[in-house]
Amino acid sequence: MVQRIKKGVARRIQRDVPVEKKPFATIGKALRCSEDEVIAAIRELMKDGAVRKFGAVLAHRKAGIGKNAMVVWAVPESRTLDVGQLLGARKEVSHCYERSPHFLGKYNLFTMIHSGAGDMAKIVEDIAASIGVADYVILETEEEFKKTSMEYFPDE
Amino acid sequence: MDTIDKKILNMLQTGFPLEAEPYRVVAERVGIDEDEALKRVKKLKEEGVIRRIGAVFEPRALGYVSTLCAAKVPPSKMKQFVEAANSYPGVTHNYRRSHEYNVWFTFIATSRKEIDKALGEIKEKTGIADILDMPAKRIFKIDVTFEL
Repeated sequence: MVQRIKKGVARRIQRDVPVEKKPFATIGKALRCSEDEVIAAIRELMKDGAVRKFGAVLAHRKAGIGKNAMVVWAVPESRTLDVGQLLGARKEVSHCYERSPHFLGKYNLFTMIHSGAGDMAKIVEDIAASIGVADYVILETEEEFKKTSMEYFPDE
Repeated sequence: MDTIDKKILNMLQTGFPLEAEPYRVVAERVGIDEDEALKRVKKLKEEGVIRRIGAVFEPRALGYVSTLCAAKVPPSKMKQFVEAANSYPGVTHNYRRSHEYNVWFTFIATSRKEIDKALGEIKEKTGIADILDMPAKRIFKIDVTFEL
């Protein structure tokens, strides 16, 4: 794969890909390459691990997916791996990280939880019971100040 | 949003066809024609249901570092603080949350030094000195797909 094409494709797909019949041909035209090369570059970026996902990013509130909250958990060091994996396996959990330093000196696992049509407090209670962790804080999302995608590849 | 829209959204999130005519593939799978698929996706974008169609990059694989920050900001300083933080392109997400630490934002940068410098500047500019900086030590899950 020609690096110029790969870099050009990366720069183009970090933004919005047009909704049209042949979007990859349009990108290829701008980069003076074929649509097959554009698609091959995307596949390669995914294989490299540079691209986690290619597709539609939704605005969850508008998509009717309901509320979300950050929930932080105080998990003993010896259980972090187990609990992290259990939390990650839940469909309501979109993100699960271990962070250091811990929040307020003890909350070390951080999750984003989406309640869908259900009740947030109840869902979190249920998750807490299933992982055997009683010490947690629900940080509800009250206002969005910013939500953007990072520009990793500036224009040349 | 009807059942067909939901099917389209599920497909575009998890299995966007990497083919020359992706919307023809989408249309075939949900049983409509290509023009209708294009019309529906355009409408979902206009309505803001679809924020963007493109790549989600893995910052770590590209040599970037990131962190999650939390600050205690009184209402009188909220506007100033949010503007100061949001002025950095690396601050990609910023929310008010229900806690004494009420402002939570993520910061992506090319180095730790860049983050330290920015947090120093935000503190100086706003007089809010208590900003927690909690980088990830381990990632268990990142999967922002929503089944509709």
